[in-house]
Amino acid sequence: MIEHAVSQETFAARIWRKTLNGVGVKVGLAWVALLVFAAVFAPFLANSMPLLMSKEGVITAPVLQYLSVEDAWVLSAFFIVLVVYRLRIGAGKRILLVLSGAFIAAVLVNMFVKPPVLVIYDNFRTAAYTQVDWRIMPPVPYAPTDYLRDLVNKGLEAPLASEGRIHLMGTEENGADVLSRMIHACRISLSIGLIASGIALLIGVIVGGLMGYFSGTIDMLGMRLVEIFEDIPTLFLLLTFVAFFGRSLYMMMVIIGVTGWSGYARYVRQEFLKLRKQDYVQAAVASGLPLGSILFRHMLPNGVAPLLVAVSFGVAGAILSEATLSFLGLGVVDAPSWGQMLDQAVKSSSFNWWMAVFPGGAIFMTVFAYNLIGEAFRDAIDPKLSGKAGVN
Amino acid sequence: MAEPLLEVRNLCTYLQSGGREVRAVDDVSFSIPRGETFCLVGESGSGKSISALSVICLLPQGIASHPSGEILFNGRDLLRLDDPGIRAVRGSQIAMIFQEPMTSLNPVLTIGEQITEALQLHYPDMSDAEAEQRTIMALEQVQMPHAAGRFGDYPHQLSGGQRQRVMIAMALACEPQLLIADEPTTALDVTVQAEILRLMRKLQDDTGMSMMFITHDFGVVAQMAQWVGVMQQGKLMEVGLCAEVLRKPQHPYTRKLLSALPENMAKPLFVRPYSENATAGQAVVKTPLLQIRNLKVWFPIKKGLLRHIVDYIRAVDEVSLDIPQGQIVALVGESGCGKTTLGRAILQLEKPTAGSIQINGQELTGLSARELRPLRRKMQIAFQDPQSSLNPRLLIETTLTEPMKVHGIGSNHEERIELAALILESVQLDRDFLWRYPHEFSGGQRQRIGLARALVLNPEFIVCDEITSALDVSVQAEILQLLLSIRQQRNLTLLFITHNIGVVEYLSDQIVVMYKGKIVEQGETAQVCSHPQHLYTQKLLAAVPRLLI
Repeated sequence: MIEHAVSQETFAARIWRKTLNGVGVKVGLAWVALLVFAAVFAPFLANSMPLLMSKEGVITAPVLQYLSVEDAWVLSAFFIVLVVYRLRIGAGKRILLVLSGAFIAAVLVNMFVKPPVLVIYDNFRTAAYTQVDWRIMPPVPYAPTDYLRDLVNKGLEAPLASEGRIHLMGTEENGADVLSRMIHACRISLSIGLIASGIALLIGVIVGGLMGYFSGTIDMLGMRLVEIFEDIPTLFLLLTFVAFFGRSLYMMMVIIGVTGWSGYARYVRQEFLKLRKQDYVQAAVASGLPLGSILFRHMLPNGVAPLLVAVSFGVAGAILSEATLSFLGLGVVDAPSWGQMLDQAVKSSSFNWWMAVFPGGAIFMTVFAYNLIGEAFRDAIDPKLSGKAGVN
Repeated sequence: MAEPLLEVRNLCTYLQSGGREVRAVDDVSFSIPRGETFCLVGESGSGKSISALSVICLLPQGIASHPSGEILFNGRDLLRLDDPGIRAVRGSQIAMIFQEPMTSLNPVLTIGEQITEALQLHYPDMSDAEAEQRTIMALEQVQMPHAAGRFGDYPHQLSGGQRQRVMIAMALACEPQLLIADEPTTALDVTVQAEILRLMRKLQDDTGMSMMFITHDFGVVAQMAQWVGVMQQGKLMEVGLCAEVLRKPQHPYTRKLLSALPENMAKPLFVRPYSENATAGQAVVKTPLLQIRNLKVWFPIKKGLLRHIVDYIRAVDEVSLDIPQGQIVALVGESGCGKTTLGRAILQLEKPTAGSIQINGQELTGLSARELRPLRRKMQIAFQDPQSSLNPRLLIETTLTEPMKVHGIGSNHEERIELAALILESVQLDRDFLWRYPHEFSGGQRQRIGLARALVLNPEFIVCDEITSALDVSVQAEILQLLLSIRQQRNLTLLFITHNIGVVEYLSDQIVVMYKGKIVEQGETAQVCSHPQHLYTQKLLAAVPRLLI
């Protein structure tokens, strides 16, 4: 019975501080930050065209001319998130602002960004782009789908084995630079993890919240729904859909999301069943507050912590699903992904270690990083565990 | 004077907490003679439990340290003993019982196994049969009904009082010379508390052991102790013979604590228009604010594969009650008697099974959420637990203004903030508290904010569900005075749910006694308290430990 020191810290700030207390989580966050950076700035990091060049006194930026609609949207969304993060407003408003900003950006980008339909990377190595006053090339001067047809006859060069060119991670069988493909593949892994988990989270919170708050019949029906969705084998459903409707990244995201919400719904339900009995929720009911406010203002923020732990594990799971699918040769065709690169490694006639180690390592590190974050977060939330780990 | 059994000299216990050092026990000295009881009394956080844990050396090694002091038990300093030495003393010579009977017994072992284990640990040569005999004897000693048949029972099969008896039996099985009891009756109903206290006094007479009794309740002190020590913030303020300290308290802190007891608080002069009428002898027929008729709240017990209903828990059974305008009605009863359920049913937080509730003649039962919303303004609730009564993620400002917005009080946000600030001031809090989060407040302040939240809608009727039970006496006294002044200003009607008879006598105009879901007695507080009619009321009033000065 010691007088509890009155803490000036908010709950969220305390959890965040405790989460950041370990070494593992810092490594995990650093890795994810690196991935985000690579994903957002991929066209500037690995591309065959110069970032900036001056020819006969005219300065041009070919990268910007060839920027695809997707690239432009990712960039603008990233900056919207940065700006919103700096604003001092509530979490709900932030989410709304980010979502609406991203939507507006998508519309604008589709209207105004008109990249050339056909890109021939060999052109960038012709006189038009090389005979210039000066030019700045990206750190990795090869695009992921630049097969270097003008330079090499065969691919599969080991790292740093090629003459006259630097391929830090070697080349694949068509002659494209592996490092460049790795960088561009970050996008698929990150986006599938975040969007699939986002969809799952949205459905899970709504269904779980309603189950937990109303309990009784709604709870019973909801739990049966949860059980039905838990029984769907995601991978085989994905295979079936790919077989029927062809390959599409967006379809994959939706399917992984739609089949993955049951765990979140269980978490939210359990939290809400507990929170429903809390006095402040009862007081909110007694004051006649509307249901939306009770659910999303008084209950959800207090029950969200265990959910976030589940999400960080869920992101890792979604990334693995995509990798599995791509490995089976059923992933996205036009853009490189880590799983697809592994598939290439296996299918080639000879064993080329650089084809397997780098994408495999990246998948491992990413899943590992998300698990580290999730674990640190869970320990921070659970006072017993944080005491055991000696974290204060 | 003979050598005391336990002598604590200049004990200091410092606790490490988040890089800070807390002086939980600071230079405390007292002694306990053989066969007598020493009570440590104080408010929460005063260091009384830490003192007890220091004596039995149960504090975690890394966190607690004893920079100075001696704990002499039979002339040996416990602080200088090594681990095996301490273990030999602990249990066999010093035993301890704890506050929470629900968690201090292992739920997966039978009570017999638990007592036998304690016995055989201290007497390794004792045979199983002998240990079982001793266990049954110990259970008989604590007046456990059908002791022999209870050997194989699990803790969940016992009531709270019975569990506490088992704890005592376990502590006494090895015949310790000193029994440390840390708030052993706080979690129990008063009637059960009275039985346990009587039992402990009898066991002390029989065995001649000494007791160190920790409590916050001066009524319990008066019944149990020969010696008493009053603690505040780790320091012992006053030590002495119980009778002397309670009759002639020397230290101002002791005096303050004693005068904060509800039975000693001066009842404020408040002339109600009611009592005038009543003294005039006129039969005043006035419709009560709240009319409850034949209210039932039954919870179904479902069993079997198809979850069919086999029986009901009759939490509130055929209750009829009138609550007159402007009165404070106290609802008392033991835990589980349905008093909280009744309060929640009135506010439609619990759906009544049958019966009618009318406020100002308007029926409440069977309304939809939408129809109920305008009526919610008239009635509000304040809760017991200061920890969970406020949303930890919301500013006090949001907590207070949101209900106003929903009910259209105040035309804009600024006006509502101003109103909320005024309400905070009316519960004697600073208006700047609007911009803080709940965790920045103490328990008493949170209860005031909880009251403020109930007041923002300007209700006519408030249910106060044990709002002072989790508070220290001095804070409780402040909250009770605040309630009375608010009632006077706003002509509020209160249903005050409590188990504390002292509070009832201080605060209420009418008393309603509930027992097993039914109302067994109601009437004017003074009348019922002086001449209880029903058997349960008589038992309840007799069990209340009182301390009048």
